[in-house]
Amino acid sequence: MAIIEVNNLSKTFKVKLKEKGLKGSLKSIFKPKYKVIKAVKNINFEVEKGEMIAFIGPNGAGKSTTIKMLTGILYPDKGDIKVLDIDPKKERKKLAYNIGTVFGQKEQLWTHLTPYDNFKFFGAIYDIPEVRVEKKINELKELFELDEFINTPVRNLSLGQRIRCEIVASLIHEPKVLFLDEPTIGLDPVVKENIRTLIKRMNKEYKTTIFLTSHDVGDIEKLCKRVIIINNGQVVLDDSMENLKYHYLNKKIVEAKMKEKVNLDDEEGITILKDKGYNLKIEVDTKKRSVADALKLLNPDNIVDINISNMPLEDIISTIYKNEADK
Amino acid sequence: MRKYLFIFKSELMSNLQYVFNIFVGFFGYFIMLFILFNLWKYMYSDPNELINGYNMSQMTWYVIITEILWMTLGGRKLCRKICNDVRGGNIAYNLNKPYNYIGYCLSGHLGSIAIKGLIYTVLGMIMGFIFLGNFPDLNIFSILAVLITGILATAISILLITFIGLFSFIIEDANPFYWLYGKVILILGTVFPIEYFPTFLQPFLTFSPIYVVSYGPAKLFVDFSFGTFASVLLAQIIYLFIGYLLCTLMYRKGVKNLNVNGG
Repeated sequence: MAIIEVNNLSKTFKVKLKEKGLKGSLKSIFKPKYKVIKAVKNINFEVEKGEMIAFIGPNGAGKSTTIKMLTGILYPDKGDIKVLDIDPKKERKKLAYNIGTVFGQKEQLWTHLTPYDNFKFFGAIYDIPEVRVEKKINELKELFELDEFINTPVRNLSLGQRIRCEIVASLIHEPKVLFLDEPTIGLDPVVKENIRTLIKRMNKEYKTTIFLTSHDVGDIEKLCKRVIIINNGQVVLDDSMENLKYHYLNKKIVEAKMKEKVNLDDEEGITILKDKGYNLKIEVDTKKRSVADALKLLNPDNIVDINISNMPLEDIISTIYKNEADK
Repeated sequence: MRKYLFIFKSELMSNLQYVFNIFVGFFGYFIMLFILFNLWKYMYSDPNELINGYNMSQMTWYVIITEILWMTLGGRKLCRKICNDVRGGNIAYNLNKPYNYIGYCLSGHLGSIAIKGLIYTVLGMIMGFIFLGNFPDLNIFSILAVLITGILATAISILLITFIGLFSFIIEDANPFYWLYGKVILILGTVFPIEYFPTFLQPFLTFSPIYVVSYGPAKLFVDFSFGTFASVLLAQIIYLFIGYLLCTLMYRKGVKNLNVNGG
């Protein structure tokens, strides 16, 4: 059974327009003009229990608006949402008891208090008996390795430690669905990896459904088995990570170091990505040309070193964004 | 209820960091009272003389209490916070938490000013005693009555200021409305008791928030009677209900049309 169901969901915003200069400012007071922005246009998708799903898209694509509608923060203009069979528009409070949210760019912890006091606070907010809160804190403290700083005021924690505490705070009430909006933003690669491991562990341990938005391809690749790409308010792709990669595996990246300079131009199936004289980076579309053809063009005797790789996921996603924007 | 006690407690714990700032802030309170004390001394040729039913000691204590209530309140900070929350979209993040936003504002702000209220009350009493050399006639009932009505007065003020702050849903910035509210309370409710104003104005003031947010507790402190206590308490309960209702209606209307872009 689907734990999240979204049908024909739409949301528009009215944005005030202002002409430039003082005249424009005065005019906007007496005769305000508005522009209607269609942030989300008729989207549909379902998420199964225990899934870790990446919901991604470029800035302004409508992903945060969708998350806010799923969590009951915004009212949709049209369409139906069911999260755990609850309509966020009608039963926001009931939904709140069953979901957790972490907004990477928005602190929900009290900075002057310690993580422990914060967790106690969240336990009280969600009406959890004291004994159960204590037990849950101890359990999550182990899982997220918080022992070292659980009694240090949040304002004195590093960003990585704070994000770990933010996630723990959102898990105190044992939510069935966790919405993570850019949880690793601003973190260094080591801490990012650590957070990803912890999220994975949590998903495995508690079977929590995870709905993740991130601009970080590493988060998506390492955590999620399914990806939904949204652009201009519409779902442009809803597929498994495996399929996504498979469809783009026809594109190979050939990086070669040459003995002598080679003059190559774009031709069917071959795109020059970088040409620095002795160093070349080309993309080969294997549906149109074979890698062997590309190597012949380079002249194998002239090659000092070569690396042939699949297209990085980051590029795959950028290509999808770009293709949709060009449509 | 437990969650609101926790919100109160968390704000209280957070604000313990600023105890020193509270003492610094008290300096302003001291100056204000010193000026008013000297003004009353000048006005009253004889300290036992009655002007509009108040002697000099009662007038000074009246101002000590109203100023404690006003300066403890931190209304500007509360209004600015709510305005910023509404304009910046931060208010949206409270929506998916299982608490009532109005209850959150009320218990949170009460928690943030509790220490300040306690310090100002103790220091205000000491100051009053140093200036006047006596306390008004008090007993356990009157002290309890002043405490209860003082806390209720603060709660009503918080609700009224929350209501003003929530106006940001309709207009861009509600802070000027708070400025106006602050000046009305200061002029009509803090320095002079209602009896000092022209007769035609007194009924209006009695039914206005001034009666419940400043006059009531101060009047009970300087001239306690069970009759006054009952009428102040009744008016406060009505105002609490009205304030809560207004805030809830404004909040519900506002969040329905809430636009939170970006992310």
